[in-house]
Amino acid sequence: MAETVLELRDLIKVYGDRTVVDGISLTLSKGEIVGMLGPNGAGKTTTIRMIMNIIAPDSGSVLILGQPFCEELKNRLGYLPEERGLYRKMTVMDALRFFGRLKGLERAEIDKRAESWLDRFALTEHKRKRIEELSKGMAQKVQIIVTILHKPELLILDEPFSGLDPVNIELVRDLILEMKRSGTSILFSTHLMDFAEKLVDRVIMIDRGSKVLDETLMQVRQDFGDSLVSISYNGDASFVAELPYVNSFRDYGNTMEIELADMHHKDELLDALRTRLDLTRFAVSEPSLNHIFFSRVSKGGL
Amino acid sequence: MNGDSRKMWTILSKEFLQIVRKKSFIISTVLTPVLMAAFFVIPAMLSDAARGEKIIHVVDLNGAYQSAFLDSIAQDPLKPSGLDFIAVDHHGRSRDELLKDYRPIILEKKVAGLLIWPAEPEKGSGIPYYGLNISDMTSLRFIEKHVQRSFTRLHLLRQNISEALIDKATMAPTLQTFKVKKEGITQSSSQAELLMSVFMLTMLMSVIMAYGQLIMRGIIEEKNSRIVELLISSTTPQSVFFGKIFGIGMVGLTQVAAWISLTVAYLFFSPWGVPPQYLAFLTPSLGIYFVLFFVLGYFSFAILFSLVGAAVNTDEEAQHLSAPISYLLFIPFLMGITMVTQNADSPVVVVASLFPFLSPMLMFMRISMAMPPFWQIALALISSVLTVWIMIRLGAKIFRVGILMYGKRPTLKEILTWISVK
Repeated sequence: MAETVLELRDLIKVYGDRTVVDGISLTLSKGEIVGMLGPNGAGKTTTIRMIMNIIAPDSGSVLILGQPFCEELKNRLGYLPEERGLYRKMTVMDALRFFGRLKGLERAEIDKRAESWLDRFALTEHKRKRIEELSKGMAQKVQIIVTILHKPELLILDEPFSGLDPVNIELVRDLILEMKRSGTSILFSTHLMDFAEKLVDRVIMIDRGSKVLDETLMQVRQDFGDSLVSISYNGDASFVAELPYVNSFRDYGNTMEIELADMHHKDELLDALRTRLDLTRFAVSEPSLNHIFFSRVSKGGL
Repeated sequence: MNGDSRKMWTILSKEFLQIVRKKSFIISTVLTPVLMAAFFVIPAMLSDAARGEKIIHVVDLNGAYQSAFLDSIAQDPLKPSGLDFIAVDHHGRSRDELLKDYRPIILEKKVAGLLIWPAEPEKGSGIPYYGLNISDMTSLRFIEKHVQRSFTRLHLLRQNISEALIDKATMAPTLQTFKVKKEGITQSSSQAELLMSVFMLTMLMSVIMAYGQLIMRGIIEEKNSRIVELLISSTTPQSVFFGKIFGIGMVGLTQVAAWISLTVAYLFFSPWGVPPQYLAFLTPSLGIYFVLFFVLGYFSFAILFSLVGAAVNTDEEAQHLSAPISYLLFIPFLMGITMVTQNADSPVVVVASLFPFLSPMLMFMRISMAMPPFWQIALALISSVLTVWIMIRLGAKIFRVGILMYGKRPTLKEILTWISVK
């Protein structure tokens, strides 16, 4: 088995009478991309802050690159906080130099690396501008460069895609894949589940402070397989709830996703739908991560 | 240099350069000595200009005083420029009639004032002077001096006393003040000394206040933008804390050094000259004490301000929580300009000047007003250094917990429990 770069064991964090993180354990292997998915308020950011030693867990432990958090590790980690911020009055170049030096880089090395990243992110012409003069998306790209400039072995990204337009989302996605190829292990959180699907090796789903799923993308495919029927229709589809072989369904008005207890019932379902609705599409597909999340949560978690 | 101290240096130089490069810093650094120079020269120029041409009419209801008074003035080389006296006949008018005639003339500023020698000057009622402005002390003192002198002379002359003796008796010598210092005795006017002392004390307070609040606002910005999470995931909270405090302290020191050297340059090269009493006051040892107490005062208060920054989330909360610190900075300032200027060695002042937080400003003020015994200075230094040392130890701990706390403002009790976090 691959070397473990991050290991959380039974992390618990309680604020007042609210248990924000309730016994989360997870491991991350070298070179792996793990997506931590869950809705807002699920406990993703709190978990990440405990990994980064920004807040202390009430119980449980964190091992990074085989050891508890310590100063020596800081130069080997890259961290993108959920809420972005750089010194507003600093120029792009000064910000890269400042944070680069805080990660132990020499100035000449920073300048060399910054040049190529700025070029790639189409920021070269802005490098003498102050952060406050940049658009939100540009500032976020600068912050992502700050996060990876020192070539960290482990990258922790909290909602790396929020605030980016589709073009820049692709750019950051490519960047994450490239980092993975160069041997970096990556843990990122997002509430945009369907997007994560195209990136991760492994999915961890968190709801109300607990882990509800932790599987590789391959396992997810096997477990959930072609268990989902999606339809487009006109008419009143409320009767679907009463069909005995329907496990769960999500109605979007004129489209619907239906999960069957057993795929053998799909012909039965098609007949039932055809007789009572004006059906324009009937397709069997893999469930989306979004759908999997809701099906797990509606069962009350694991 | 190991990793942590290198990182601290990175933060220190960032804080330093970030401010020193600002236009506002350069302007205030250059402009303050200019203002200070103006502070020396302008008051003298202004009071001359404000006095302008002043004509004072002198009426004598007795008949003997007028010429004696005007003679006395004519012989005085120190007569203020623009001040002129004209003898006027009373033409049989009484004092009330004279006033009736002169009121409109004085109100129209044709004549600045009217001096009336009464027919029979009496003990207890003075020589009346009527004027639009009766607060121009330079002119009034001058008039009073000659009223007294000519009156005395006249009466002595009538006793057939020799003129040489009268000259001697009415010389009315003034006080010439000298300040006794360790380095020797220098001539100094106590007014110049007071002005300079208050000026330097104001500078001390405003610089400590300005840079303390600068640190506080910087920390709040870092908290709000979560930059602090980046800093803490890159280096120790101690490096951040000390980097900031030393970095901004260096800015303050740079500014003070620039002020001192520009002022000294002015004193040496000024084409207008500087009153010698200022030169006598600004000794190198006073400069050294100024820097020393600035550094100690800065650290005591900068740490307090940085803790407020670490404990709060908004500027508004910061204002509330930092108000007591501002008062703590105002108390020695107010004591300095009131109690110390009256009596620099009163028991209250002596005790307060050894007290933590009050000591840097009060002891400096005492030194500039009247050199206290050396053991008291030493005690004040020890007390301040001890305060700073304790503040640094506790501050680093409180800072570490505080900067990562978001949401509700912590209570004082909570802050105190942070100290016990290892």
